[in-house]
Amino acid sequence: MTLVKEAPARPAGKRPAAPAAGRRGRRRENLAGYLFMSPWIAGFLLLTAGPMIASLYYAFTSYNLFTPPQWIGLDNFTTMFQDPRWQKSVEVTLKYVVVATPLKLLLALGVALLLAQKRRGQGLYRAAFYMPSLIGASVSVGFVWRALFSDDAVVDRTQKIFGLDVGGWIGNPDYVIYALVALSIWQFGAPMVIFLAGLKQVPQELYEAAEVDGAGPLRRFWNITLPMISPVLFFNVLLESIHAFQVFGSAYVVSDTRCGPADATLVYTCYLYQKGFKEAQMGFASAMAWTLVVAVALVTAVLFWSQKKWVHYEEAAK
Amino acid sequence: MTSATSPALPTASERRRSGSIAWHVGALAVLAVVLYPVIWVVGASFKPSKDIIASLDLLPAKPVWANFSGLADGISGISVGSFFWNSLMYAVLAVAGVVLSSSLTAYAFAKIRFAGRNLLFTLMIGTLLLPYHVLLIPQYVLFRNLELTDTLVPLVAGKFLATEAFFVFLMVQFMRGLPRELDEAAKLDGCGHLRTYWSIVLPLSRPAIITSAIFTFINAWNDFMGPLIYLNTPEKYTVSLGLMMFRDQEGVSNYGSMIAMSLVALVPVIAFFMAFQRHLIDGMATSGLKG
Amino acid sequence: MQQGGNVERRTILKAAGASLAVVGLGATATACGGDSGSGDGTVTIRYAWWGGEPRTIAIKKTIALFEKKFPKIKVKPEFTDYEAFWEKFQTQASGGNPPDVFQNAVGFLRKYDKRGVLLDLKTQADAGNLSLDNFRNGVLANGQVDGKQIAVPVGANTMALVIDLKAFEKAGVEPKFGWTWDEYFDALQKIQDKQKIAGDTGYFSIMYLYDLYLRQNGKAFFTDTDLGFTEADLTQWWEDGYKRVRSGLVADPKKVEQVKPKSALSAGLAASEFTWDNFSIRYEGEGESDYGLAPIPTTDGKDTGQYLGSLMLSGFSGTKHPKEVAQFIDFMVHDPEVGEIMGYDRGILATTEQYEAFKPADDNNKGVAAYEEEVAGAGVLGKITPHPSGADVIEAAFLRIGGEVAQGKTKPADAAKALFSEAKAAFAG
Repeated sequence: MTLVKEAPARPAGKRPAAPAAGRRGRRRENLAGYLFMSPWIAGFLLLTAGPMIASLYYAFTSYNLFTPPQWIGLDNFTTMFQDPRWQKSVEVTLKYVVVATPLKLLLALGVALLLAQKRRGQGLYRAAFYMPSLIGASVSVGFVWRALFSDDAVVDRTQKIFGLDVGGWIGNPDYVIYALVALSIWQFGAPMVIFLAGLKQVPQELYEAAEVDGAGPLRRFWNITLPMISPVLFFNVLLESIHAFQVFGSAYVVSDTRCGPADATLVYTCYLYQKGFKEAQMGFASAMAWTLVVAVALVTAVLFWSQKKWVHYEEAAK
Repeated sequence: MTSATSPALPTASERRRSGSIAWHVGALAVLAVVLYPVIWVVGASFKPSKDIIASLDLLPAKPVWANFSGLADGISGISVGSFFWNSLMYAVLAVAGVVLSSSLTAYAFAKIRFAGRNLLFTLMIGTLLLPYHVLLIPQYVLFRNLELTDTLVPLVAGKFLATEAFFVFLMVQFMRGLPRELDEAAKLDGCGHLRTYWSIVLPLSRPAIITSAIFTFINAWNDFMGPLIYLNTPEKYTVSLGLMMFRDQEGVSNYGSMIAMSLVALVPVIAFFMAFQRHLIDGMATSGLKG
Repeated sequence: MQQGGNVERRTILKAAGASLAVVGLGATATACGGDSGSGDGTVTIRYAWWGGEPRTIAIKKTIALFEKKFPKIKVKPEFTDYEAFWEKFQTQASGGNPPDVFQNAVGFLRKYDKRGVLLDLKTQADAGNLSLDNFRNGVLANGQVDGKQIAVPVGANTMALVIDLKAFEKAGVEPKFGWTWDEYFDALQKIQDKQKIAGDTGYFSIMYLYDLYLRQNGKAFFTDTDLGFTEADLTQWWEDGYKRVRSGLVADPKKVEQVKPKSALSAGLAASEFTWDNFSIRYEGEGESDYGLAPIPTTDGKDTGQYLGSLMLSGFSGTKHPKEVAQFIDFMVHDPEVGEIMGYDRGILATTEQYEAFKPADDNNKGVAAYEEEVAGAGVLGKITPHPSGADVIEAAFLRIGGEVAQGKTKPADAAKALFSEAKAAFAG
């Protein structure tokens, strides 16, 4: 690293003067800034803001790609809210989010607590638990999952030992969604790693002081650990929920592309895909997309607002 | 403590040892369940097609190579190698795009005081929370109008334009942690921002860049929806689409080859992971800590 | 040629602006734009089809043959599975850029004719580039809409009943031509009693089979513009079907779902399955038993309601090379060597030249040929009407909603209502 030069000595107490101070300097800074930002700005306008506006427009049109979009006002939305398959997709997605996210985070936190203790091989376990997060979204794992949850395969036979016979998961509309939930939970490694990082940052003195005061492990967890990791918990809850709303690949592959049986795995994105790309109803699909944005924004807003109630940010300098 | 034949309470070290055993048993149990699917697919790829679901043994009694030799035949006249090549192209381009554009953007956020910086930063963070669905269809229409469907362009264009806010964020966090004296010294020596970026900040940001590169590679490798929407000709298919081709619905089931191909498709990701897991995990961890 | 309109184009291009240069940054592969003229006069045409691996391998051989006989024409193949094919086709066509020549089916004729996508091959025939003679059993009509020849059949197929020969034998039941639905279900009952397997895999979700049943009763699934039956009809059909699922006469839908993409018949879950006759070849390789074709059950003891459907080849109305497209189709449809290579993969060969050139060697293909002979000979073949636009969406809906009835998730009456409302939306689309 020969390029890094030694910082020249400075008179104590005096802040280094900004180079070329004044309006010209600021203008140069702005120019430099925007030059560096130009790819991002181009990307934002061309691939984010532009499409957002376009899809908002499409949502009020009937657009099948062959003919120009035709304005139909709120028709897409009224049709959508009354569409039984749309309602089903909302139901399926909500079920998935509400069941998978808490379970996944609970498992992640639990295992993180386990791994936070200094044990032999801890690094190896951490890596091994993390790996599913990297491959979970792949088509390969989708195929494997479908096989594992088939009738007479390992999951089915294991539960039969415990006396629970659901007659196979993949073909059963009542249970197949839980196979997807299991796939989500299997990928607990990513939030777990974040929890681990948060746990490491809790100052040991707090625990020691509490122990001296006679607090048991449960008390210590509730009064020290939880509040101290609440920012990290918030981060995980936010991200995991938002991702869960957008699930597609696993539902598509595990259900053999039909998002069934009987629409049991018709997650929101799958229905959007069917409407937009199979039936070429781009207007309807755009209406669905914006409804999702609003829903996610609401959830995000609620989560952010609730921060005040339960997220404890450390004021002390790190 | 005077020793009796059987102490009333376990000693501290005994407590630790039994706790340790319990811990290891618990951890191993979780590990077994977590790794089962991976081990299963390895074993299954060596079983004959009809036994894959039927037999419960993890590893086959008599391993067969038929599934893998079936892969050598390709599918419908397209070699499996071409899927891997296409995925590799996609992944490499994605990495190049992300590293370049994200680092440029991150440098601006971290090191340049320009007007509107905070607003743009907030906007960028906002895109992290934005569901991609609202972008999907108009982007498709855009690329179709530009006649760029069935190419890799729609898949990698965004990577070159810093649309991956997560990695920008990662790098910004990292760059903010670099001591300010370094770039100020550079400025005094007459380096403009470009020089500072290229010669000082970028090399120092290597850990963040490597993390971003690896994640980008893996995400591109696994990407399914993008290729599904944009790629039409089977010769251009990536591995994720190629895998779907094995689900033959009108002919004899290629089930065994499908499973073998699934395994082969996972190998690069797992290999990357094992080589770079430190970077990945540390990168994930820092992203969660509020900057 | 209708395209995405001006308004949207302007909006998009405004946003694109100078970023076109940036987009060029990452481009590697060039768009395949059907760009095809080169200095020495060779022409390249894009040919797309759907199907499994055997079909793809065979078609590639025929393409090589074609290119040898027509050295000035290069063919660029694009192939995928059925669903992906139509998704891609739709989006390509909407952008004004579909393949020059492509496989087609009766359900899509009106849909794309409405949008002006299909080339009228009559003009090419009149110009002498394509012969419309020698089609067997009148299948040429399958590709005609409003007097235009917008598709040319490559094969003829009809719905068939594939049975597990061993299962039928063991139960001592034998299908016979003209047997009624009652006789058919009685036979299945005997098999179920004797061997504890279901009789059928889910007949009531197959639109084309219901079509036959309707035709036997003087109706049809589609009219030129609408559905050809009532909600009450469908409710009855699905109620009967669901009853049979409950009694086990029709295989457990959960199990059928799980073995996908393998067929439930090959998996031994049932003794019979309704499907297109040219699909019957797959069972032999997939399943453990012996399989054969049986006659479709009738209502009146005689009329099966069958007609010959076809896979066809169509051209793109806006192709830059209509003459070459016509020559290609002519070759694929008439050349005897092509017939030998393709066999009955896309149905019984549609032209006499190809039909006579291909002598089926194995039992399966022989069986399929014999089956169609029998059906044609019995004089029961009806005419097929080109389905109204939206038929493909309705077929998928029928399959899905029928599946929901089978799973007990929707009551037959509600299901029929749902189908009708989805059909209404599909026709409008």
